[in-house]
Amino acid sequence: MLRLKNGRLYDPARGVDGLVQDLYVDAGRVVPAPGPEVRIDAELDLAGKVVMAGAIDLHTHIGGGKMNIARALLPEDHRGDRVPASDLGAGGFMHAGCGHAAPSTWTTGYRYAEMGYTACFEPAMLPANARHAHLEMGDIPMVDKGAYAMLGSDDFFLRLLAAGADPRLIADYVGWTLDASQAMAIKVVNPGGISAFKFNTRALALDEAHPYYGVTPRQVIGALARAVHDLGLAHPLHVHASNLGVPGNADTTLATMAAAEGLPIHLTHIQFHSYGTEGERRFSSEAERIADAINRQGNVSADVGQILFGQTVTASGDTMGQHRNHRHASPDKWVVMDIECDAGCGVVPFRYKDKNFVNALQWAIGLELFLRVTDPWRIFLTTDHPNGAPFTSYPHLIRLLMDRDFRNAKLDEIHPEAAAHSQLRGLTREYSLYEIAVMTRAAPARSLGLAERGHLGPGAAADIVVYRDDADREAMFGKPEYVFKDGELVVRDGRVVKVVNGALHAVKPEYDKGIERPLNDYFDRYMTVKMAHLKIADDEVCACGASKLVPHACTRHSS
Amino acid sequence: MSDTHYCCPFCGLVCDDLSVDLPGCPRAVQLSTAPALGVARSNGSEVDTAAAVAAAAAILRGARRPLVAGLACDVTGHRAALDLAERTGAVVDHMNGAGQFRNWLAFQDGGWMSTTLSEVRNRADVVVLAGTDATAFPRFFERCLAPESQFGELSRRVIVLGDSHSFPPERLAGTALAIPIAKERLGELCAALRARLAGRLVAAGTVAGMAPEQLDALLATLRAARYGVLAWNAAELDFPDADLAVRAMADLVTDLNRVGRWAVLPLGGSDGDTSAAQVCTWRTGYPLRVGFEAGGPHYEPLSHETGRLLAMGGVDALLWISALDPERRPPETDCPVIVLGRPDMTFERPPAVFIPVAVPGLHHAGFLHRMDGVVALPLSARTATGLPAVAQALAAIAKELSRAQA
Repeated sequence: MLRLKNGRLYDPARGVDGLVQDLYVDAGRVVPAPGPEVRIDAELDLAGKVVMAGAIDLHTHIGGGKMNIARALLPEDHRGDRVPASDLGAGGFMHAGCGHAAPSTWTTGYRYAEMGYTACFEPAMLPANARHAHLEMGDIPMVDKGAYAMLGSDDFFLRLLAAGADPRLIADYVGWTLDASQAMAIKVVNPGGISAFKFNTRALALDEAHPYYGVTPRQVIGALARAVHDLGLAHPLHVHASNLGVPGNADTTLATMAAAEGLPIHLTHIQFHSYGTEGERRFSSEAERIADAINRQGNVSADVGQILFGQTVTASGDTMGQHRNHRHASPDKWVVMDIECDAGCGVVPFRYKDKNFVNALQWAIGLELFLRVTDPWRIFLTTDHPNGAPFTSYPHLIRLLMDRDFRNAKLDEIHPEAAAHSQLRGLTREYSLYEIAVMTRAAPARSLGLAERGHLGPGAAADIVVYRDDADREAMFGKPEYVFKDGELVVRDGRVVKVVNGALHAVKPEYDKGIERPLNDYFDRYMTVKMAHLKIADDEVCACGASKLVPHACTRHSS
Repeated sequence: MSDTHYCCPFCGLVCDDLSVDLPGCPRAVQLSTAPALGVARSNGSEVDTAAAVAAAAAILRGARRPLVAGLACDVTGHRAALDLAERTGAVVDHMNGAGQFRNWLAFQDGGWMSTTLSEVRNRADVVVLAGTDATAFPRFFERCLAPESQFGELSRRVIVLGDSHSFPPERLAGTALAIPIAKERLGELCAALRARLAGRLVAAGTVAGMAPEQLDALLATLRAARYGVLAWNAAELDFPDADLAVRAMADLVTDLNRVGRWAVLPLGGSDGDTSAAQVCTWRTGYPLRVGFEAGGPHYEPLSHETGRLLAMGGVDALLWISALDPERRPPETDCPVIVLGRPDMTFERPPAVFIPVAVPGLHHAGFLHRMDGVVALPLSARTATGLPAVAQALAAIAKELSRAQA
């Protein structure tokens, strides 16, 4: 048994806010304080240190076909961040790879762990690409993983919706998709829009009819939110709304919240969806209106998708949006792909510049959203890696949130008109350590239904991070003193000391397997793959590379 | 729903509808027959597998910079090959690298708009086959251009651009248009079409052997497509600077997308080459032709080519992996050669070490990507074997190497 003594704990799931308390770890779990008869094998004195559960990233594009396209497209980016192999002896072998915007799988895992993250969720797994995504994630070490299956532009679903199918049948199909692709949640991207682009439609508003099926994005969101709710998934429908990046899209974003009709809905990378058309340049912040709407509506959660300045690459299922954006590609090369009557993907490299008015305002809008949404349980810290910035910039982002002087100093550096347009300087809020622990640990765990992660209570998986309490929060969060994964010390002073593998989390909803009859017929008639071969069996998950499959049961609600 | 169908690993289509009743194309049938056992050899003598593994390890231990090439196997084999390459400081390349890198060079220069097989099947009303008749993928027409589509019956126009001699009459019969053009001039043709699309005049005379009116007629057909697909097989574009022709085709498709919908479909993916590139990309950032050096992976898309490395003495040992097609033997070289090959592989000049390995999708289960890189299919074990899989043989060599180091 291991005792972590005298640490200052921030454990919001139990309301613990900076309490000095000992933690006990045995067999990979946090355990209650043992009696005097139990031998303590090891002990660390953490006096003055900050202790939190392992961080959880609920929206990061770490693995799957579009990331591999991004990697293959950008050899010049990798050259700036070559990663040599490193033999840790008894700690295992760290593979060579590359870092920065589209890091190799190995480097992704190592660097997440070195920042104190112990679980990461890939938010855009195409069912047609699921086996590939699991193979890629199988080579991401150190962290637990999971993925959200993308629906809403797949022809089978749109056929059901257009035919006015019973919500129970749609729920069966959604349940089948989760099961077949070993997914954790459902995501919809530009609802119906990826399909519409295949029919040469270049924009699709929330209440505009799809050119072939006649259904609207609002109907797609409504049907999927209902199915996700009825299946009893912990995580709400994860929505990449229509009109990403388009000035004036805040109205669409507000209408998208309403489209859920009171059911739980998660709006992802909401920074990209909080734009107005005020001012000479017809581009302005609507962060206040969006934040107010989130504050008012308890069924809505969001992650920010903060942008940070520098080179990155945007990778998205939103082919319509990415084709529109390709003229901003830097370097000037980009990929758009239509995929398997299922969805699509678009990869556009991008360089955010602090002296560019639009980019500078995007930066300020993201920070405004963080500071204006009052409930840290419903707003999550993301850069939509790598779309807003690579995940390795999280410590910098945390400092921007926790340190007003630092934030204002950065505000002085951006395009002066953008700074003048933004109300950021007037926002005095500074996030506390407790609030950071909420938004990076407790809240994502609760949102995903990870009962054993994101907290330090007895029974929790011993994913534990120990930080030096440094006034420079970027330094503090960039280099934890200790990281434990399932009770094992894996990182010391911000460096991996032991290589471990992570588990795959997937939901196991109840659904009527009878859905396989029409599905099988559909695949046999129209697809170039058989339905049976799209399905990923439970025992394939480990063959793909995960240490184990962690199934999460769901209780179906009747509609 | 029980799965009685199996997936075929022998070309980039990875047809997954095969069964005892439908054994697939002649190539699939032929390659699906392989002995369940084989004989390992070291310096011409029969040895047991352990001795062959030790001999292979001795060669790699003595090499300063090996080349791990061929790479015709499944994802698990590719993972093991990259592991071994990393530990021995090797360079990796695939036996289809010439074609692969015509595509990768063009891709890394400008990207492209592409599609996948089920989209082609359901949407493509105009299909251009540029410099290929797709016979390297025997069931391409049957699987991807079947008449039934979920958006109603498709009347497809297939346009063949290429040397007319390469198209047997039965192929031409089903096509709407066959335009004879030397492959070397595909880039020129695409550039002229782009110019016309942009409203520019093309200099009088002929472009790629086509009269201006013929060019405009072709462009009109392309512009009329509801969903057009431009396909090529880079392996067949065997002429200097063919990556520029690929780039020109991709650029034409991008331009056609300003007003309509078009996509490229690079045919390929045979001998596990799509999987090899995918695995190498997610593990290193680069789609093969990577050398594992002290400072990290080093990518050289031109000079890390198998033939060039062997000819220039850039490597001093060759590990050749060829578990799918016994005809794909290692290239001639004077440096020591280790072959992990199908048991029915024969040699005029035997390699220093031959380790017979199981055939993925026939002898053992695994994963293999289709040519579009999106769909990874499960391979199954259809017959029993005593042979090791590529991954097992490579792991045994790696173990022998670390044992010797200890």
